[in-house]
This record gives sequence, C-alpha cells and structure tokens, in this order.
Amino acid sequence: MNRLRRLLTASIAIAAVGLVSPAFAQSKGKIYYMVPTLLDEFQTESVSAITKFMGDVGYEVVTLNADNKTDLQQSQMNDTILQKPSAIILAAVDFNALAPSIEKARAAGIPVMIFDRQITSTPSDLTSVAGTVEIGHVAGDEIAKLLKAKNGDVKGKVLQVLGDPSDPYTLDIQKGFEEKMKPFPGVEIISLPAMQWEASNAGTIVADQLVANPDIDLIFVHAAHLAVAAVASLEAKGKKPGDVMLVSSNGAPVGLDLIRKGWENVEVEQPLYAQAAALAMFADKVVNKQEIKPGDYKVLGLDSVMTVESWGPNIKIPGAAITKDNVDEPRFWGNLKAPADKITPVQ
Amino acid sequence: MTSPRQRATAEFILDHLVWFMLAVVLIAFSLFVPNFFQIGIFANIIEQSTFVGVMAIGLAIVIIAGHMDLSVESTAALAAMITGILFCSRGIGMGLVLTPEWLAIPVSLAVALAVGAVIGFLNGFFTVKMKMNAFIVTLASYIWVRGLVVAISGGRSAQDLSPSLRFIGIEQFLYIPLIAWIAILCFVVFSFIMQRTPFGRHITLIGGNAVAAFRAGIKVDRLMFISFILAGAIAGLAGWLLAIRTSGATANLGTGMLFNAFAAVVIGGVSLKGGVGKLPGVYAGVLLLSSIHTAINLMGLPAHYTQVILGLLVLAAVLLDTLKLQIRQRFA
Repeated sequence: MNRLRRLLTASIAIAAVGLVSPAFAQSKGKIYYMVPTLLDEFQTESVSAITKFMGDVGYEVVTLNADNKTDLQQSQMNDTILQKPSAIILAAVDFNALAPSIEKARAAGIPVMIFDRQITSTPSDLTSVAGTVEIGHVAGDEIAKLLKAKNGDVKGKVLQVLGDPSDPYTLDIQKGFEEKMKPFPGVEIISLPAMQWEASNAGTIVADQLVANPDIDLIFVHAAHLAVAAVASLEAKGKKPGDVMLVSSNGAPVGLDLIRKGWENVEVEQPLYAQAAALAMFADKVVNKQEIKPGDYKVLGLDSVMTVESWGPNIKIPGAAITKDNVDEPRFWGNLKAPADKITPVQ
Repeated sequence: MTSPRQRATAEFILDHLVWFMLAVVLIAFSLFVPNFFQIGIFANIIEQSTFVGVMAIGLAIVIIAGHMDLSVESTAALAAMITGILFCSRGIGMGLVLTPEWLAIPVSLAVALAVGAVIGFLNGFFTVKMKMNAFIVTLASYIWVRGLVVAISGGRSAQDLSPSLRFIGIEQFLYIPLIAWIAILCFVVFSFIMQRTPFGRHITLIGGNAVAAFRAGIKVDRLMFISFILAGAIAGLAGWLLAIRTSGATANLGTGMLFNAFAAVVIGGVSLKGGVGKLPGVYAGVLLLSSIHTAINLMGLPAHYTQVILGLLVLAAVLLDTLKLQIRQRFA
C-alpha cells in the first residue's frame, strides 16, 4: 500500500514538473490578449496568429473574449491588471470607453499594445493597425475603377451595407469610402446598416434594395460574411455572378471563396498576419520599455511605416485589394496559411 | 347599453386589431414610401417574416401555456450551424453528400428539428420536472446554446450550402419563395392545432389557470413538457430555414431575432400572462414588423429608428391589450 502511495506521489510530482518546467523556463512572461469577440473570423484567426507569433518571441498568450461588451472588457482589463502580466494587447470593443483602462494599466507599469482598432485619445505603448479609414480608401479606389470599367466613367448606383451602426469600425470604413467618392457626383450611394453584423439582416437589405433600385451597379459590404448573405439574395432574385458587382472588406475566407466563384470582384484585406507579427517584432522593446524608433520596417514582407504619434508608436500596415488575379496568395489571411517562419524581434 | 350587433362588431375588431393595424400601415407605406407599392416588396416582406415568424410560433405556444422561452434564438442558431457544418462545402462545412441528393432535405430537416427538440427537452425537464423558473432556465439556455454555436464553429462560418437545399431559398411559387411558403404552412398547421385540437385548447387552458386545468383532469406537466419540446423543434426549423436563406451559417446568425419574435408575439395579441392569444395574430405581428423594417430600408432612415419604432410598437401593443380588456368589460 505504501509502495503504491509512493509511486503515485512520485508520478504526480514528475507530471507536475513536466507540465510546469518547460513552459516557464522558456517563457519571457505572459501577455494578455483582449479580443473583442469570437463571433467573426478575423478575430478568431487573430487569436491564433497572436498566440503563434508571440510564442515565436518567447511570450505565452492568454486570451480573454469580451463578447462585444464594453463593460465586460473593462472588467477584464481590471482583472488582468491585477495579474501583473508582461503586457496587454487590446483590440477594443469601444475605442474611447477603454481609454481609462489603458491609463490604469500603464499607471500600474503594464505596457499596453493596441491591435487593429486604433485608440488615439490616450497614449499606449505600440499600435499596430491597417487603418480602418484607409480600408475605406482602398475600397473607394477599387470601386471607382470598377464603376469606370462598367459605365465608362466613375458614376452609378452603389449600395453600401454597413455593419452595426454602433461599431466605430464600420463608421470609419464608411468615412474612408465616402471621402474617396466625394469627387464623383455621378455616384449615388445608398447606405444601410446590418444591425449587429447579422448576415440575414444584410440579406434583407439587399433583397429590398434590388426591388426598389433594380439599377444598382455595385454592392459594397463591410464584412465578408455579410457578402455571403448578399450573394444569397442576389441568387434568389435570379442574378448570376457578375450581374451586380460586389466589393467587401476584411479579407475573410468566405470573401475569397466568393471571388473564386465569380460573385465578388474585390475584397479589401486587413493584413491580419502582418498586424499580429508587428506586435511580436516589437514585444521585447515594449515589455522592457525601450525606445521604438520611427521609420520603415518590413513586416512579413510588407512595407510598413512606424511613426511616433501623440498616442505613441504607431505602425501602419497597408491593406491590400484582393482580386481574382491574386486571391490564392498565401499572404492573405483568408487563405488561413499563417507564415511558418519564426518572427525575429527588432533589436 | 349596446346592441348584440355592436358588441359583435367591437369583439371582431378587438380580436383582429393587429390585422387592421397591418392594413393601415401597408396602405400608409404604399402611399408615402417611394417604391414600396410593388409585388416584389410585398413578397420580400413575406419572405423576411419567415425566420422570426417560425420562431414566434414556438415562443407563442410556450407563452400561451403560461411560461417563457428565451432560448429560441440560440436554438435556431445552433440548428443553422449544424445544418451548415453538415451540408456546406466551404468554410467549416463538411460537404456531406447524400444519394439520392433529395435526401439532404429530410435528413437536414430531421437533424435541425432534433437539435431543437433536445434543447426544448432540456428546458422542459428543468422547468417542468425540476420545477425551476422557466425564465431562468431558458435564459441559461440562451447563453449556453449560443456558446455552443461558437464552440463547435470555432467562430468560423460554414458557407456554400448544398444546391439540393439551396433551391428552397431560391425557387418561388406565386412570387413568394418556398421558404416563406413553409412558414405560412407552419402558421396554418399550428393555428389549427392550437384552435381545433384538444392539445391546443388544453395548452390555452393551462396558461389561463394551471390549477383549474389540473383539477379538470388535464395532464398539465405532460403538455407543458411537450410545449417546450415543440418550441425547441420549431426554433430548429427556423434555424434550418435561416441556413438555407443565407447559404450557410455564421456564429452570430440570428442575433437579435429573439427581441423581434417577442415583439411579434406581443403585438400579435398574445398575453404574456398566458392563456390568451392566437397564432394568426402573431403572423400579422411578424408581417407588421417586417413591413416597418422594409419601409425603413427603402426610406434610408438610420436603422436606430427601427428599434425606436419597434419599442414603441410593443408599448402600444401592451397598452392596446389593457384597453381591449377595459373595452370588453364595458361591452360585457
């Protein structure tokens, strides 16, 4: 009996040492990633990418999902601050509401990195963004090209299907897109929001507008999963691929599939992998509170610009237009082929 | 003093108030909203009523029975996701192909109904057998079932539904898509069940006074249990239709539909106290909400107005319900 007890104790001890030692021996510390939601594919893939890239440079990542609730993310920030992690990566549910939490974390000596959703109202230690307004700009340029190719000039009717109107992300894209369309008075834009980013709401909008405005030239939806519902409505109205042009943003796998099938013309990608990799490249500097120098950097082969803004170091990575010609390139996160090469920290 | 004829007219109007409201709204929109008055828009309204409408049938049955089911939205999402995972060929879809192809319809439908029935069974078990509060039990289901949707999908979506199912969302009969006909058929069948069969009448009696129904020999617990299972299975059907309409499923599919289903049920004249309500009225409520959504789409009003209008409509419906009671007492 004693022998059995000793054996059991020894086994537990060995298992505990085996479980605990390697991780802690190699880890430079824990970084908490505050993801706004896991209900969309961009955010889901961002968890994998950040975990992988931070692992490359020696950090263990713990992810907390805020379920798109600002108050929950604020509580999570408070809890995380008490854990004293090496750093926090924040993709904010609400750009402004989380500013006090960032200030609180930094006051406690915990650096905060901002991912994807830029916060300019308070300083942070590093911001890695594609720029949501810029995504609207890229979409605007591509839509101008498509309208010109179809109508001989930049003119026509565009149905813009936004995401939830309370989400600043979609409002920024709208702003960028409409800025680009301003010089073209011949472009009529009908803008309607898909409440709660719910696909069937987008489908309903498209179905109604196809009846009320059968001369719509192009549909611009602010997320690829909404494009799927838009296509379902087009199909239900007897349309074929190419009858109505379609542009979407965020670069999710479903959008790339729609390009391959001929339904979608352009998907404006958010460079998810590069955005996540940039955080990992500068993680040591952020954690050790070293200076981050402005200038040009290559992030996963993309030319990116680091500037020092009033809210801190800000690396901007260009969004790309995905078309039939380049849809299969592995650099697009929608192809779900995360770069296998290890990230090298910036010295 | 009112004559029997006046009384009958008043009763008729009170019983069908929501249909009169719908008629007034449709006439007003046709007159004042550009591009509203056309057959395509009316067909859209009927089509868009499909999912909330079907979901509202199950919800109404449970409410008429004197309980509550907050889980119908998440149950529909789970059924949609499982249908998507099994029968979609892209994203997380497994691309299941059956031979002959038409088998996909009964098999996927059976799976969706079964998924819903299981959730309904659990709700019924905890509410009826364990005597737990239905509000809390179904609220918990609302949360955990949506969590399950995210867990099994990993937050990813299933896309490109099998063409053998998609045709139900594309093909039309008399300008109306087949999915909308399915919803109409559901309303006809369940209206018949609720009004013309012992099951329906007993459910209404239980909702009105469960103790009296028990003393009258009605198997209250059994029927309550069945109503929860029915609500779950019907929500599963709504999810199946939703997957067909959107050619797949995303983790947030159906979000917000619970509120619309509730609004439709209340506007349709179902009393939240139980024991009162008819399914045709619920369908009118759903059509009314869809008409308002469509009009707002066509007018290009900010979507926030939809929520303001829906909220006010629900308030108006409850007020009308109170007024109806007072008017009925006056005529009595």
